[in-house]
Amino acid sequence: MANTLDQYTLGNGMVILGERMDHVQSAAFTFLLPCGAALLPEGACGAGEVIADWIFRGAGKRNSRQISDALDALGLHRDSGVSAAHLSLSGALEAGNLHKALDLYADILLEPSLKEEQFAFSQQLAIQELLGLDDDPRQKIGMLVCEQFYPHPWGRPSMGKREELVALTPDRTRQIIRDRFSIGGTIFSVAGRYDFETICRQMESRFGSAKTGSETMIQNGPRGKKYVHENHEGAQVHIGLMTETISITSEDYYNAMAAVSVLSGSMSSRLFTEVREKRGLCYAVGARYHSLRDMAGIRCYAGTTPDKAQETLDVIVAEFNRLHEGILEEEMDRAKVGLKSTLIMQSESTISRAGGIAGDYYLLGRVRPMEEIRHRLKETTVKTVVDFLRRHRFVEYTVATIGPTEVRWS
Amino acid sequence: MEFQRHQLSNGLSVIGEVNPSAQSAAVGFFVRTGARDETAEISGVSHFLEHMLFKGTDKLSAMEVNEAFDSTGAKFNAFTSEENTVYYAAVLPEYLDRVTDLWTQLMRPALRDDDFNMEKNVILEEIAMYKDLPQFDVMDRCRSLHFDKHPCAHSVLGSEESIAALTAEQMREYFQHRYAPNNLTLACCGNFDFDRFCRMAQEKCGSWTPFEVGRELSYFGGSKSKRHETKANLVREHICLVSAGVAAQDRRRYAASLLGLILGDSTGSRFFWALVDTALAETAEMQYESMDGVGAFYSYLRCSRDNAAPVMDIVDGIFDDVTQHGVTQAELDAARNKVLSSVTIKSEQPMGRLVDLGFNWVYLNEYRSVADDVAAIKAVTAEEVNRLLDEFKPGQYTLFSLGPEDQK
Repeated sequence: MANTLDQYTLGNGMVILGERMDHVQSAAFTFLLPCGAALLPEGACGAGEVIADWIFRGAGKRNSRQISDALDALGLHRDSGVSAAHLSLSGALEAGNLHKALDLYADILLEPSLKEEQFAFSQQLAIQELLGLDDDPRQKIGMLVCEQFYPHPWGRPSMGKREELVALTPDRTRQIIRDRFSIGGTIFSVAGRYDFETICRQMESRFGSAKTGSETMIQNGPRGKKYVHENHEGAQVHIGLMTETISITSEDYYNAMAAVSVLSGSMSSRLFTEVREKRGLCYAVGARYHSLRDMAGIRCYAGTTPDKAQETLDVIVAEFNRLHEGILEEEMDRAKVGLKSTLIMQSESTISRAGGIAGDYYLLGRVRPMEEIRHRLKETTVKTVVDFLRRHRFVEYTVATIGPTEVRWS
Repeated sequence: MEFQRHQLSNGLSVIGEVNPSAQSAAVGFFVRTGARDETAEISGVSHFLEHMLFKGTDKLSAMEVNEAFDSTGAKFNAFTSEENTVYYAAVLPEYLDRVTDLWTQLMRPALRDDDFNMEKNVILEEIAMYKDLPQFDVMDRCRSLHFDKHPCAHSVLGSEESIAALTAEQMREYFQHRYAPNNLTLACCGNFDFDRFCRMAQEKCGSWTPFEVGRELSYFGGSKSKRHETKANLVREHICLVSAGVAAQDRRRYAASLLGLILGDSTGSRFFWALVDTALAETAEMQYESMDGVGAFYSYLRCSRDNAAPVMDIVDGIFDDVTQHGVTQAELDAARNKVLSSVTIKSEQPMGRLVDLGFNWVYLNEYRSVADDVAAIKAVTAEEVNRLLDEFKPGQYTLFSLGPEDQK
């Protein structure tokens, strides 16, 4: 029943990954280009969002309209996103149209028109999206807390900063694309129904001779403040909290995942029980593991009315602080079966798997077979998790709030 | 895939779509009840009741319910709309019995006073949360404005006042009527044994007492009112439009979905080229929503305050043009391809199939396979879409917008 993994590397270093899935009719793909928010030059925060829009506005022999029509004619569901490390472009469609879609993406990545008159629209949209974030504090708080938590530039907001977006010019942005669109450093993945040999031939012929740029070297800067607050006369105080933990490359990765699951994997987990079920403080509360390649954190969100904000934060921090004191066997069993179910259910989705294998390859330099993950989860016990938590105590927390009142935090 | 059905003598419908090659299964109860079935005194009770089901039964506490679900690794939740309350779980096949058993128990909840009072705080927090999400707020209020005196105008969450005033006794009475077995559908998709599933349904739900359950099913084309409000903390202009559409039971619903995409999909639509491509608005989307006996097209637009007037002029121009000249074959083909690939991708996971399976049964009392839907989408013609436009003019809309205050 397990899906089959494929891998091939083009002459210029571009990595082609595949996960074949029986019983599906669709295929999904992801390109991870090594030009995420952290890797962009200083003063160009948000350029990734502009680029992700601009490159679709005409490429190869097609103008903006023709590119869009051609993609739509294939029934392609497309998405793009900017993380700290990557600009990611992904799509999903009926498997029979995959090769036509990849040809169009080759045009978009290798021969974007980058017309000056189209640039203004891409820039304007990025600025507007950023302004729109002020009307969505629940989403904004996640970016705000990440920016403070990670050492600069790893927490740079992918949606950008207004003054830097305004200052971007077509020339500067073209230069960024020339410097940072390293095809040789790109990871491509496909999942679902496909023929790997055909894919490799196509990728070789379209991308094989494209350039390999040099890897962008990053000097880690300082971390931000331990507490920031943004005033917003809304109905709730939105709380973001982050604390450091080990990254996915660590031997302790599965212990960390299990710990986060005990804390916030589902409705019987500690945060939901203590904050919502027992005290009725929030509707939304939860924590997730958030990993870059070399560092990671646990990021927590809660939204609550102003008079309950302090208690909410205090209860959350108390739950983090006492986690190392011990975990019940039943809690551990629930955490493990939850992680195992997630894993198997994701293996039914072409979109999840295309993203998953590309992410694995970037973070670990290889794709973990499902059997390995199952085995490592099985080996994870109350003892290994508690030992891990004692070796890696949560000591410092970065907190951000958006709302009508501040909380006490130092 | 094989469809099977069974009805218990008390009226509970049990349906299943068996797919032995799936690695998981999805199970859910579809209750035909929601905000439209409430009176003003109990506004918000359907959604509050949905929360209360997780608070347990005479034998299970809330904590035990959460632990029981989590011990199976199920991905479970529930949602309430104007006319449906759906409880669902995606689960590995070996845990399906346990999760189904649990849902059947929860469908006969204790509705304890203590739990009710504690959960009231959570509901009030949820109402506060949506107030900070203008995108949801504006859609919710525009729907109310559009449906006016029609029951579909009722708010799913209720108001702070209605929730504060609601009593556990009122909720228990509502439950007695609306959660009668003849108003429920138990559905399952994926890798499972239907006969075994039915035996469990019979054993666990066979003794439930049926009750006569009604619903007002009049059609309403909308108030076409226009209203604008300001809010101190807002930065952008949030605009929602609602216009009349066909009901879920109407065969023209496929044409209506395609029309929604032609006009307002997030890429390649008329809204996209006129508003988003030109950066006049960062979001401009439209979709068709079918409901029990009614239907509507919803548009959501977000832009700067200065652009609000030009954006609305363009939207009116798009609606006029499409009503006069109709859609093109190329537009229809592109929209059709998008829908067909969505259907394919969604149906590859049991959880993706469950909702369609359940709603087709609730609305149509009919099984529709993926192939049936694909055939129906392929059969839609441009003439059919254009006839729809003659009858349901998108330019005759209700408008509600929410924007920043004057800066003077």
